This record gives sequence, structure tokens and C-alpha cells, in this order.
Amino acid sequence: MDATTAMYVSQGMHGVAYGMVLFLLASGLTLILGMMGVFNLAHTCFFMLSAYFGYQTIHWTGSYWLALLVAPILTALFGILMERFLLKKVHAYGPIAELILTLGVSMIILDGVKVVWGTQSLPLSPPQSMQGLVDIMGLQYPVYRLFLIVLSLFLLLVMSIILYKTRLGMVVRAAVSDAEMVNALGINVPLVFMTVFGIGTWMAGVAGVAIAPILTVSPGLSHQMGMDAFIVVIVGGFGSLGGAFLVSLICGLLSSYGIQFFPQYAAILIFVFMAVVLTIKPEGLFGEKES
Amino acid sequence: MNKTKLVFFMFIILCCFGALFLPQAMAVDAKYDLSTLPDMSEFDPDNPVNPEGDKIKIALVAAFSGPGAASGHVFYLYTSWAAYDINKRGGILVDGKRKKIQIIKADNQSRPDITKKVTERMILKEKVDILWGSQMSHLTRIVAQLAKRYKKIHINATSLSDSLMEGKNFSKYSFMTSYSTQQIGRAAAYYYGQIRKKEKKFYIICQDYVFGRSMAKAFKEGLKEYYPEAELVGEDYHRIFLTDFAPYLTKVKASGAEVIFTGDWMPDSINLLKQSRQMGIMLPFANVFINDPISLKEIGIENGKGLVIISPAGTGNPIFKNEEFIKYHKSWNDLWKNKWKEPYNTTRFKHILGNPAMYGYSIYWAMSVIERAGTLEPDKIIKTWEGDSYQMPNGKIVSMRSCDHKTIADLHAYEYVAPKDQKQCYNIPPYYFFDGTVGAGPVSEIPAEKILPKADPKLCK
Repeated sequence: MDATTAMYVSQGMHGVAYGMVLFLLASGLTLILGMMGVFNLAHTCFFMLSAYFGYQTIHWTGSYWLALLVAPILTALFGILMERFLLKKVHAYGPIAELILTLGVSMIILDGVKVVWGTQSLPLSPPQSMQGLVDIMGLQYPVYRLFLIVLSLFLLLVMSIILYKTRLGMVVRAAVSDAEMVNALGINVPLVFMTVFGIGTWMAGVAGVAIAPILTVSPGLSHQMGMDAFIVVIVGGFGSLGGAFLVSLICGLLSSYGIQFFPQYAAILIFVFMAVVLTIKPEGLFGEKES
Repeated sequence: MNKTKLVFFMFIILCCFGALFLPQAMAVDAKYDLSTLPDMSEFDPDNPVNPEGDKIKIALVAAFSGPGAASGHVFYLYTSWAAYDINKRGGILVDGKRKKIQIIKADNQSRPDITKKVTERMILKEKVDILWGSQMSHLTRIVAQLAKRYKKIHINATSLSDSLMEGKNFSKYSFMTSYSTQQIGRAAAYYYGQIRKKEKKFYIICQDYVFGRSMAKAFKEGLKEYYPEAELVGEDYHRIFLTDFAPYLTKVKASGAEVIFTGDWMPDSINLLKQSRQMGIMLPFANVFINDPISLKEIGIENGKGLVIISPAGTGNPIFKNEEFIKYHKSWNDLWKNKWKEPYNTTRFKHILGNPAMYGYSIYWAMSVIERAGTLEPDKIIKTWEGDSYQMPNGKIVSMRSCDHKTIADLHAYEYVAPKDQKQCYNIPPYYFFDGTVGAGPVSEIPAEKILPKADPKLCK
């Protein structure tokens, strides 16, 4: 591969890698929003919290893989507790109350991590086996970024199977469509919603631990990707995993090729894309029109 | 003329020449007195002792909560150390009375609206005498405007934008004790063009806002002036708190650059370095803020070698030039090791050296000026400070340019090396700055007159 081709292919792969991590983060958000109608402003703080849990696990055990397993589960537990004891109680007061509540929770998490871990950036490295570069037809590409792509694709596959090929997925989709009817059939709908919320925060947790080795863990982490994640959910269509996946990829590629070809406009390309899509299709690419 | 007379005559002539060509560095108006360092063992940033009686109140306008809270801790630790030191010496003599110094935290949460509110509260309610801060140029501008409105002396030791002291932004009440973007950018160019003379291809990556753009502009101007044969192979400006630097780094790789110049601050600076190394890009970075020991430790020694940092606090090698400064540093380091609690006992606060030390030194300088002015009247302080030169505890000499209140000083370019090679700089046991981390080694001096900060022609005729 010649140098110019390698550069363009590299940019494409960087775009895919970033898009995949963005998808991990946004997929949980879109699941919760689409299934439960909750615009969870604390979602990106769960993402950050998981990165801290990951840091702490590595600090204690030295194992990144254990961190990748434990931290998202811990984060999901926090998410479940929030849904069970807070969100559920304000659900009857409508989306504004839920919005304010999730904003409050995000502030608590943000200040909580500062109390526990301080305000400085904490370093975290990829595991030894994921360090270095791999040769792809003459293109040297970081192993860890490849891992991010594979991990995200794997999770997309698992989530799609659960949602569209299992009884649980069927119940979740049915509960979203008509919760009262599903409840009347003897299915515990609140438990279904709690599970969805748990899975959503778990995915944010996976994203947090996955991204940490290429960044540093700091309270600012929640803001760093938060805006992009919300754009993905809105443009992809509320609740659409496929939409989140496609838009994440587009955002990643727009970002990397934007930097390559129009660096001065790179930062606004995603917003332009959002504006264009929403002008043509206000419900998002894969969103359903409200009846 | 006999032989004795001839020798005597020659001696007199030599003395006259010596006096004529005495280094400018020797001629200072005042200096920090290391020989009378008081017992600092009771200093504890978590338990500040508020002085009683007559005092000089200094409002430390900085973030103590919110995203930028880490910087507030740094400012507070180093400035309150200086205040404690001065108080232990009995304070300073002002208007016929000895007054002690009180540092008051004014939390601006990194927000412009809060900065205005909290600064006004400090002036009107707390009746502070001096304003210190703040951590970003746009916030510093607010503090400076309020200082002007209420006629308070304002110390800017942290915001580096030249524009703060130019045109309509200039206020006679504000004094910039830090170095400026112009000095940094041009110093980096001077180092590569006039001292190092090896690498010729440069790539600029800076944050996309006033500070980042000013840094890049200064570096480009410096290259034109001091390294015309250098080639700028690319320049990019990214958003602050960027997640993925890989697309920028891919361009750097393709450009054939030999050095990356960046003005990025944390966490962008360390993320940029980290991601470049993960991508196999081992180019040196000319920078200002890649000096966080914890992040550098994680980067590893091999990956950190070759970083070049432009420092405002340098004095040339070695750092410890006399026993008194060793004692000064040791008194800090002992407390850090044995007394202070988190966050002040963490690795980042191990030394009273480098950029953070300059925050405390700014208090020494300002208080020395006030003592020499003999009053807290702003106009008299201004008159004394303009053109003043002062020697800091580490021996560094700084002077205040009268026309625009910018600090003139030599800067130093430090090359980062492995711990075993840091002895040339850190010349006391353990002979390195931080365990397992790259740190300052070889140093090059960039003379102040070669990198004078940009002067507004309307102010500096």
C-alpha cells in the first residue's frame, strides 16, 4: 500500500473505531430513550463512572480484562438502583421531572468522582497484549483500536440477537408498544424496564472502560463524548439500534475525513449533518413518526 | 611608572570594565531573601491560619469546583505557601504598620458569570486589597476589568495571552507576572533555529481558541525570525477536550514532520502524546504543559524521551545552585512527604519548582513591591512595580515592562530525559524529579531580549 492510500485507509479506520465507541455509548442511551421514553442526562456520567471503576479495578488487580468485566456490571448496578429508587418514583410526573432527576443524578456522579478520585486526570494503559501495531497489508494500525472495532461489532450482534431473536427482546418491544397490555398478560413490566435500564447503563460502562486506555480518566470524560452521543441518538432515531450504529459510523467518518480534507470545518460537519437530516426527517433516520 | 603602579592601574581599569559589563542579572531592585527562611513546618494548606490584626487580603479567583477544580488546588497551595512564609517573617511594612497576608479562595467554577459575581463579592464584601487570577484568558479578562473599575491591583500569574495586556484590554491595575504566548512560541522557534539546529520540519497542533491560535502564531513568527530555513509541514487546530487525535496524527505522520509543536494543556496535551505513541509516532513534542508526572509515568520513559518543554521557571542547570535553595525546597518536600493530606500529598505537588512554583513567586514579588511602595495605594504600587526587577527564590530574575506590564525574563528549553540522566538538572538526591518518569535534563537558555513579549505600539512607543 503506498503512503497516500495508507493515509486515507488509516483515516477510514480511525473513523470506524471512533464511530464504534460512540455507538457503544449511544446504543445504551437510545435503548433507554426508545424503550422507556427517558432522556437520561446521566448516561454520559455513567460512562465516566465506569472508566473510574475500571481505573480502580486495574489499580487493585492489574488486570484490564477484569476491569472490562467488573466496571460495566458495577455501573449497571448503579443504573438499576437509580431506575428502581428514583426514576420509577418520578415517572408519573412526566418527562420534565425525569429530565431534571437525571440531571441531578449526573451532578451527583460528577461531584462524587471528584470526592473519591480527585480532579486530576488518571492514566490507564491498554493491556500488554493489545499494545503495539499490527500490519494490515503494509498499513501499521494500533492493535487496541482494532480491538475497539471488534468489541463494538460483537456487542451490536449480541444486542440485536437479544432484542430481535429472543423472548426477552420480544417482551421488551411489546412493553414499549403497549405496556398495559403486556402487564395484563402477567409480565412484570417494571422489571422489564429496569432490565432495559440496566443493559443501557452496562453498555455505557463498556464504552467507558473501552475508551479509557486511549484517553485519561477525568471528570471531563463525560463531556468529551456526551454531545456526539446525543447527536447520534437524535439523528439515528429514538430507540433505533440500527440508526445509532449507522449514525455513529457516519459521525466517526465525517470527523476523520473532515479533519483530513476540511480541517477548519471538521468540528461543525457533524452538526451540519444533523441539521440536514432533521430538516428532511425530523424523527431521525430510523425514528418512527409519532401518531 | 613602576611595576607596582602598573599592576594597580591595570587592576583599576579591569574593575571599571567589570562594573560596566556586569551581567544585567545582577542588577535587581529587590530579591527574595533565602537566608532568612523561617520555620515552615507548621504550614498546612488544609488548615490555613488566618492572620489576626492588620492584614492584606488577596482574593484567589480560580476554580475550586467544577471541571477546572484541579487548577485551583495548585494555585492555592503555592500562593498560600508564599503568604505563610511572608507572615512568618512578620508580614510586610505598609503605611507604618506590619501587615500579614490572607489568601481568600474565590471559586469561579470556571464560569464567566460566576467569575464576575465572586470577584465583585470579594471586592465589595470581603474588601480585598489584591486580586489574583484567573485560570483562563476570558476569565482573567473579567477579573482585570473589575480590578480596573474598582481600582484594585490585579496579579495575572496564570493566563498567557498577550492580548490581555494590549489595546483596550490593557489596564494599569493589572500585572502579568507569567510568561506570554509570544514568548513561548518564539522561544521554541529560537531553540530549534539558533540552539539545536537539527530538525527542520515542524507540524503545529493547537487547541482551536484564542490561546491555541496565539501560540501557533507566535511559533510561526519565531520560525520566520530565527529559523527561516525551517519548513512548516502542517498546522491543525482541534476542539478543546477532543477524544480522538488519530486523524490529526495520521496527517502528521504523512507530512514527514520531525517535531510537533503544541500549546495544548491537560488533558488534551497528554492524550495527544499518548495516542501518538500508541500509533507508533515517536516524534518529539515542543510544548508547554506536558509535564504531569503521573501521566508521564504511564506513557513510559522511552515514549517520553525527547519532549522539549519551554519553562518560565528555569535558571539553567543545575537547579539547586546553593545550600539555601536546597533548604527552601527541602522544607516544602518534607511537608509534602510527612504532613499534607490529599490532594496536596500527591506526586504532582512533590516539588516547589517549575510552573507551579511561579504562582507562589508572584506573591513574593507583589508583596515586595508593596513593601517598597510602603502603601496599599494602587497608584504608588503601580509606580513601584513598573520597571521593577526582582530575584525569585530559585534565583530567576524577572522584570516588569513599564509600558504594558508584561514580565521580561529569560526562558529555558528543557529536554526530557530518563531519570538516570536528570542529575545534570536535579543535582540533589535522588538525582531525578520523579521515579520512573522522564524529566528535565539538558537545558538551553533563551535570552529575554530575543523573545521580548509582543508590545502594543500604542502602549510601548
